[in-house]
Amino acid sequence: MIKAIFYKVKKNPVLYFLAKGILFLLLVVVMDFTIGNVLSYFYFKQESGLQYRTTFSIEKTTADELVFGSSRANHHYKPEILEKGMNYSYYNVGRDGGSILYHYAVLEAVLKRYTPKIIILDVNEGEFKQTKASYDRLSSLLPYYREHPEMRSIIALKSKYEKYKLYSSIYPYNSVISTIIMGNTEVNKKRKGDYLGYIPLYKSWNEEIKENKTGVYETDSVKIKFFESFISECKKKNIQLYVVFSPFYVKYLHEDYSVKLAKEIANKYNVPFFDYSNAVTFINNKKLFADFGHLNDRGAIVFTEDLVKKIKETCKSEPGN
Amino acid sequence: MAFVPIYILILGFTIVIDYFAGIYIEKAEGKRRKLFLIFSLVANVGVLAVFKYYNFLNENFSVLLKGFALENPIPYLSILLPIGLSFHTFQAMSYTIEVYRGHQNAERHFGIYSLYVMFYPQLVAGPIERPQNLLHQFREKYDFDYDRVVEGLKLMLWGLFKKLVIADRLAIYVNTVYNNPEHHSGYSFMLATVFFAIQIYCDFSGYSEIAIGAARVMGFKLMTNFNRPYFSKTISEFWKRWHISLSTWFKDYLYISLGGNRVSVPRWYMNLFIVFVVSGLWHGANWTYIIWGALNGFYLVFAIISQDQRTKFNKIIGLNKFPKIHKGLQILTTFILACFAWIFFRANNVHDAFLIVRKIFGGRGSLFIDNNTLFYSFIAICILLLVETKKEYYKGHFSFFENKSWIVRNLTYASLIIIILLMGVFDGGQFIYFQF
Repeated sequence: MIKAIFYKVKKNPVLYFLAKGILFLLLVVVMDFTIGNVLSYFYFKQESGLQYRTTFSIEKTTADELVFGSSRANHHYKPEILEKGMNYSYYNVGRDGGSILYHYAVLEAVLKRYTPKIIILDVNEGEFKQTKASYDRLSSLLPYYREHPEMRSIIALKSKYEKYKLYSSIYPYNSVISTIIMGNTEVNKKRKGDYLGYIPLYKSWNEEIKENKTGVYETDSVKIKFFESFISECKKKNIQLYVVFSPFYVKYLHEDYSVKLAKEIANKYNVPFFDYSNAVTFINNKKLFADFGHLNDRGAIVFTEDLVKKIKETCKSEPGN
Repeated sequence: MAFVPIYILILGFTIVIDYFAGIYIEKAEGKRRKLFLIFSLVANVGVLAVFKYYNFLNENFSVLLKGFALENPIPYLSILLPIGLSFHTFQAMSYTIEVYRGHQNAERHFGIYSLYVMFYPQLVAGPIERPQNLLHQFREKYDFDYDRVVEGLKLMLWGLFKKLVIADRLAIYVNTVYNNPEHHSGYSFMLATVFFAIQIYCDFSGYSEIAIGAARVMGFKLMTNFNRPYFSKTISEFWKRWHISLSTWFKDYLYISLGGNRVSVPRWYMNLFIVFVVSGLWHGANWTYIIWGALNGFYLVFAIISQDQRTKFNKIIGLNKFPKIHKGLQILTTFILACFAWIFFRANNVHDAFLIVRKIFGGRGSLFIDNNTLFYSFIAICILLLVETKKEYYKGHFSFFENKSWIVRNLTYASLIIIILLMGVFDGGQFIYFQF
């Protein structure tokens, strides 16, 4: 019987092609499933590094005070000072290259589990600029797509084919094997030790200050929309939100357009906005920077102390926030 | 890249002109044949001139006038370069030239002729086909052929692998370095240039393989466009293996029309040089492409002139006694020369290109290291090198891709898909040659 079917299939080239094609696809699916699950296991088994911090931010942290932002958030907010100053537990959920899209996705995941008391959102220069990179970088959230339905709509912004690509078990781990390997060893801890998501930098910047003459540029309405949503979500949950534009070693001849917009939106929602562009303490002291966009540990101490003071003052004057 | 439906009229224009030109060339006799051919060529080159070269020429004219403190009154055109324009224009031109030469009958069926110009697998980036090879295939009937379909799909998969895993990965490093020439060192440029040589090869040959494979699935056989060019021992051989459909186009329709090598020696050298400069210009309206073409022309002429001296030199140092080492050195030299020319092809402008050359020969500074990109690039290049070396030198030997065992063969192709999912760059850009 089976032999007869086999010969019948072999005689018909279309059927033969389909039969072999299905077998081949089956092989691919089995390999994809097996390798994808192995990668998933090792991805979530990591105990240090960037991916570990992302997992911890999304799935584990229960800190009262969270800092959101890009690498600048990771390097600028000294945990000990914020914990002592505000009397709350702290975790830094910032991520290298993260944009407001990423921050909003993480906020959604956090709010699904618990409600933090304070959130500091560090906005970046050009935060609302139109760049493909901000969408590409949402790939860092792909491993969480299956278990976190609250993030799916944001991950889907990456491309219109994203949900189809995610049928594959391997695709969420595309281009991350090397980091998974490192995250499962002690290499990351030795390379870039973090404390509660804060990563201190110890070098000092030696170059002269540069002027930023950029005026108005084209903005991304999706990013602006998510910035507003970030604020309104926090408001809805009664979270004390502070939006901060932390120091750059740059002389701004015009206020950065994204910062200007963020400030306007924050004002609209009555959210405090601390703008450190052209702050004299910083632009007159390059030794506080590791590079033009990042404070070093000394700079982070000076900045965080000043920020805590400002937050406390705001709390006194606007206890309702 | 933008989708502007009205631009289809450009394609429509050349199709209508060349369709009728073909018929009239065939019918006409004497000078009238030539007249119809010239009419068709002017129309095709005219479209290219307007859409591809007008602003470039105007810009250079402005610079020239500026030298005499004069303003250029000719306005710039705000137009986009239609995708694949150079490819389908050249394919259309090859049709009218072949009809004129009597190698091809004029196509009476307008639909079939349109299909010849617009055949979608190769419409935007070749291979640039000849009417003798393609037109008759549109009249043939194709039954489903298992081997042919599988062969096509395999070729498409390998092309996709080259594009996503190799070309787009290397592009990350190349773009970072080449787009910031002021901030990178000579060592970084050396590595970025070698990476670009591999990137452009995998990008373009990858596209060609996808096009050839897609056509093969449907039953059509397109010409081979790449034949492992980096194994070439000379620049002349390199051009017989690189973008074969364009190289042979220039040989058949420009080089031979200029007299080829059946002219005086200086004129022959000039013919070679002209062909390569025009080839550079074909790639883009930018001086960087022209210099790239001229450099290749120079390599070729120099190779011919120095042939005897090089042979004598090899005898003196005894290199001819070690043919394998000699061959290895030849391949390495050809690769280095090709890489040097690629600097001009990739640089954003002539100023950047010369800055990069100066930095490379200055040789100072530290190498830009992007661990992640270098890690995946290294793996990707190793796979490419293994596959290409096997195809070049060990054809009859053990092969994973053509293994007799169904399991081994299918595991190999399934692994390619897995590697694409694991290491492919899915946010990469379009194919480089789409811009031409």
